[in-house]
Amino acid sequence: MPDVEMKPTDPKATDAKPAEDTKAEPLSPLAEIKNNAALIDRAVSTLEPRFTHRVLRTLTSLRKRIDDSILRNAIDEIYAKDDSVHKTLIKWLPGTSSTSTEAQEMDVDSLSKPPQASLAPEAEMYLRLLILQHLLASEETHERALELANETAEKMQTLNRRSMDAIAAKIWLAVDRAYDLAGELSDARPIFLAAQRTASLRHDDEAQAALINCLLRSYINYNLYDQADKLISKTTFPSSASNAQFARYHYYLGRIRAVQLNYTEAHTNLQQAIRRAPPAKTAPGFYQAVHKYFVVVELLMGDIPDRSLFRHVVLEKALNAYFEIVKAVRTGSLAQFQATLSKHAAQFEEDNTYTLIIRLRQNVIKTGIRRLSLSYSRISLRDICVKLHLDSEEDAEYIVGKAIRDGVIEGRIVHDKGWMESGVQKNGYGPEVSEVFGRRIAFCLDLHNQSVKAMRYPLNAHRKELAAAEGAREREKELAKEIQDGDLDDDDLGGDF
Amino acid sequence: MAANLKTYYEELGRAFHSKPCNVTKCVALLPKLKLGLIEAGLLLPQGDVNLGDLVVARDILEIGAFASIRNRDVPSFDRYFSQLQTFYTDYSESLPPSKREYPIRGLNLIRLLTQNRIAEFHTTLECLDADVIAENPFIKHPVNLERWLMEGSYSKVWNAREEAPAEEYKFFVDSLMGTIRNEIASCEEAAYDSLPLKEAATLLFFTNKSELLTFAQKRGWQVDLTENTITFKRKGEEKMEIPKQRLIAASLAYARELEQIV
Repeated sequence: MPDVEMKPTDPKATDAKPAEDTKAEPLSPLAEIKNNAALIDRAVSTLEPRFTHRVLRTLTSLRKRIDDSILRNAIDEIYAKDDSVHKTLIKWLPGTSSTSTEAQEMDVDSLSKPPQASLAPEAEMYLRLLILQHLLASEETHERALELANETAEKMQTLNRRSMDAIAAKIWLAVDRAYDLAGELSDARPIFLAAQRTASLRHDDEAQAALINCLLRSYINYNLYDQADKLISKTTFPSSASNAQFARYHYYLGRIRAVQLNYTEAHTNLQQAIRRAPPAKTAPGFYQAVHKYFVVVELLMGDIPDRSLFRHVVLEKALNAYFEIVKAVRTGSLAQFQATLSKHAAQFEEDNTYTLIIRLRQNVIKTGIRRLSLSYSRISLRDICVKLHLDSEEDAEYIVGKAIRDGVIEGRIVHDKGWMESGVQKNGYGPEVSEVFGRRIAFCLDLHNQSVKAMRYPLNAHRKELAAAEGAREREKELAKEIQDGDLDDDDLGGDF
Repeated sequence: MAANLKTYYEELGRAFHSKPCNVTKCVALLPKLKLGLIEAGLLLPQGDVNLGDLVVARDILEIGAFASIRNRDVPSFDRYFSQLQTFYTDYSESLPPSKREYPIRGLNLIRLLTQNRIAEFHTTLECLDADVIAENPFIKHPVNLERWLMEGSYSKVWNAREEAPAEEYKFFVDSLMGTIRNEIASCEEAAYDSLPLKEAATLLFFTNKSELLTFAQKRGWQVDLTENTITFKRKGEEKMEIPKQRLIAASLAYARELEQIV
């Protein structure tokens, strides 16, 4: 199972990103957390989920900069010391020895203004999420992370607040990760299934999307494609889910369809996953994982992937083995294919693509036959057998027959003479061209319409204009009234002249 | 476990292991046993159940699966297999592995193959470890068959039919051969203009002429008995036609969309 967490695995990218962020936003992590908590509170009180989303966007960069003391200080500053939330949160932080807290509390007391009265529970959940992610980051605290994950999930469900949905989705992902690191991914399934049902009943789209993906990941991790397929057929993926969730969903769907031999659908889904995924440099792990499947599925469909794909900076190294397979398929040489397969078997097994690549064998043969039929107008079955390293002439006859039936080549077999005659090749211009063209136009138009629909307008912004218009009308009325009343008498006019 | 369940179970074991296997008796006993299992909550076990009882339940279902194959009742095998899934996947860690697990899994694979349910065949295959697929004879057999079928090496499939790793696999041979013959026939229709009768018989693995003739009749081939050849109807060249309706509809749709944009 390749790591499909959308986090950078490339150290260079990791280093570069926070640096940029700090330049743009010179806030210290502590100040940022405080700021975020206030923003979340505002989001809840103004019913404007936009603020919460803004907070969550900074999560990735913030995650890398926090440590125990920052978190502790943040909790101290946000919650009063005798607050029950304060106690529950602080106890999750490792190494809370009494002296150090004492000292810090002194510090904090003298420095900060008295904490705000009471924050929305969403802010607490946000802090829990930060602690959880922090615990997950280091190996020794995984067990505590799992405990916290369970407690948080429970608490989240009893609270049942719609304004918490966005944070809840992130927490579910962290819970999934906690179980994954503890190696108990299958144990989390009942929890997720129950939560998914609740989320779908409450129309909690964000959590639902996250949970469906967690479940799919868990099923696919244990190779339970059947169950995963059933889950997909029984649920509808919320259309308002974020791009990252959509990318994951399409990736899993693509994998399931590829196993089921539905390559066309697998191809569309993987392509969607690539398009929706974050830029290659930000999330190289995901980008590579999707491309591995994408290349294999494209080969299985009988296409050869673009050469430029294998020159991509992020992909070049990761896809090396796949590039060799592509070369073998392209030349239609079974021997080369077998050699490459055994050479890279370990990697393919690790990527879970081994069974798919074995299926390529028939494609190699088909490509071989196609090449032969292009270069020879007539070739004996015996020669085909030798050139493609087939076991017997009898086999060659059946294989060529099947290729003709499947439309791989045009031609026929003359049995009594023991050869194959190639027919005329179809030319590439026909109604299919207009069909493909039409499909592309439809895609562009759909994209345009979707983006028009997705435009946001600030709430109540038209009120101001309305008020202004109202005022203007009012003035006009007054003016008209004054004229009617004859207030504007000749004297005034005369004065003007 | 209830006493009558135990006696039935022993009776079933005797009937199944007797030589030759008493299939009718097995089939008669199985419904009673299944009722007993349901009463004991063992047919679809949930939560903590006695491991010994689970092994017995698994054993009964396995015998049921084999008995239904011997009785040539494929839907019944299907049901037994789905019930066994719980034991093979969910309890795989707590239960001792069963000797019959892989033969039954292999049989299920062959069943999917003969019914041409290739997608399910592959999904099922994904649940198994790569080592098992490559090494276990019961699994390797259907996997190879599928590979040859997809490749078109029909003669290898034909030659492998006698190499079945277990007695029960042979029950599927007939339907498998039916599947291949139909495959070959459709290939021949596309790839040949005409074939001598004798050659057609070898290609389709028929040993006598009358079988071939009935088969040819079923597929609507023209048999010329005086010249001893079969002629296949060529499908007429597809006429190239411009899909007017569709093009007009598409152009109108574009015009409408463009109007909305501008």
